[in-house]
Amino acid sequence: MSKVREKVLFAFLGIPTAICLGVFFWLASVLLSGFGTIKWNLLTASVLNGGYLEMIVGSAYLLLGAAGIASPVGVLAAIYLVEYAPRGRLTRVIDQAINNLAGVPSIVIGLFGYTFFCRQLGLGISLAAGWFTLSLMMIPIVIRGTEEAVRMVPNAFKEAALALGASKWRTVRSITAPSAAPGIITSILLGIARVAGETAAILFTSCVLVTRGLPKSPFEPVMALAFNLFVKIVALGESPDKVFGIAFILFLMVISLAAAATAFRIYYRRRQPWLK
Amino acid sequence: MVKVDIRQLNVWLKGNHVLKDITLTTKENAVTAIMGPSGCGKTTLLRAINRMNEIIAGCRTTGELYINGRNIYDGETNVYELRRSVGMVFQKPNPLPKSIFENVAFGVKIHKMANGESLASIVERSLKEVALWEEVKERLNDSAFSLSGGQQQRLCIARALAVNPEIILLDEPCSALDPIATAKIEALMRKLAEKYTVIIVTHNVQQAARVSDYVAFLYLGELVEYGPTKHVFENPQSKLTERYLTGEFG
Repeated sequence: MSKVREKVLFAFLGIPTAICLGVFFWLASVLLSGFGTIKWNLLTASVLNGGYLEMIVGSAYLLLGAAGIASPVGVLAAIYLVEYAPRGRLTRVIDQAINNLAGVPSIVIGLFGYTFFCRQLGLGISLAAGWFTLSLMMIPIVIRGTEEAVRMVPNAFKEAALALGASKWRTVRSITAPSAAPGIITSILLGIARVAGETAAILFTSCVLVTRGLPKSPFEPVMALAFNLFVKIVALGESPDKVFGIAFILFLMVISLAAAATAFRIYYRRRQPWLK
Repeated sequence: MVKVDIRQLNVWLKGNHVLKDITLTTKENAVTAIMGPSGCGKTTLLRAINRMNEIIAGCRTTGELYINGRNIYDGETNVYELRRSVGMVFQKPNPLPKSIFENVAFGVKIHKMANGESLASIVERSLKEVALWEEVKERLNDSAFSLSGGQQQRLCIARALAVNPEIILLDEPCSALDPIATAKIEALMRKLAEKYTVIIVTHNVQQAARVSDYVAFLYLGELVEYGPTKHVFENPQSKLTERYLTGEFG
């Protein structure tokens, strides 16, 4: 009797797996059709000639700039929180605030970016406004990842340096940070991957449908893959199969970033015997 | 000559009264062993001498501790300079995640004591002092983790010697090592005492007998007995010391 019940239960547990597999194959088929529609020479052709160049480069600009802001802020904040800030009520509040920031819906972040960076600070619809807005989404990820990486550095290393007469800052600089570097870089890559497909945050802060060439300064608007995909379907009512190419490139970008982060982590785990 | 002079030292860690009114003086160029059962405050006493207790949050220290006649708890002592002149070796070998060379050079670099040629010669001299040079001279750029446990511990001693200390603190330096490596470290400690003041924490009574000139017996945060090792072992003044030495508890 109980054996039968167990079998039924296990069968039920199999259902979610089957659903996941189904979704996976469906996604794979979507991707394959995207693969078919893509013309590789269009990757480097201007959108004015039906290519994707400005979208790809625009997306890359957005991501690199946002990472350029979020990385130093997030890494320094995390090192401060782990190594310097006294544990207490204030740090608990800050911890909670970071968690909350990570959970804010991106459309809300986008709206904040629009009112604050575009209007208040007068950046207008621009690459720079997109950088700041996207960096708000990356910062909590970088902080969390860096905190974890810094905590994994064995205390014995820090004690060794301190006992030789190194100052705390010197210890952080020459021992803790280099030992945590692979984890920190992984967290930055994951942060980039997190916002690579982001649409809502750049929707009304930095993107336009078509630009003439690439932006010449951070104060000009850009094109981006995710934004184009969204607008072409929602506003222009194009049929989904027309934008498969864009979806495919975007997907490749996000996947390769996440894969790079994983590969990086695995490679350095092997070279850091103390993490075992 | 008196090197370390501890007077009425009290230490609290997170509210626990770990060391109670410790008063003792150690001699220059001698090996002083601090022994006692686990949790008696041996390590805390050792770490009071280079103020390493301070890196633990919630640590409070009262009393006086003179090194070369200067109270290191007077609020004016430069703690980085103090830790340069009072080297420390830990229970588990803790090489830095760097090459063999860089491990020994690290302290020299942070105190800006040498670079280039003279740095290399300090590294060589330090590695020779711990009898590790011949074993590693061909592979100074290899990771310090490629060494065996005993070699790592000698590397850590070399790292402490490289910055010209006067006192070497060793916190159960052999507890993670095999008997052969232990014998090497013990022989090294005897040799180091010719040039440095050596203070070692151990819970191993035989080790204290083998290597030390003076021995202090700590129990529950209090100094029970202190004197020349020969006297203490042959003629302990306290019943408690006698019971500890005969292995009744430990």
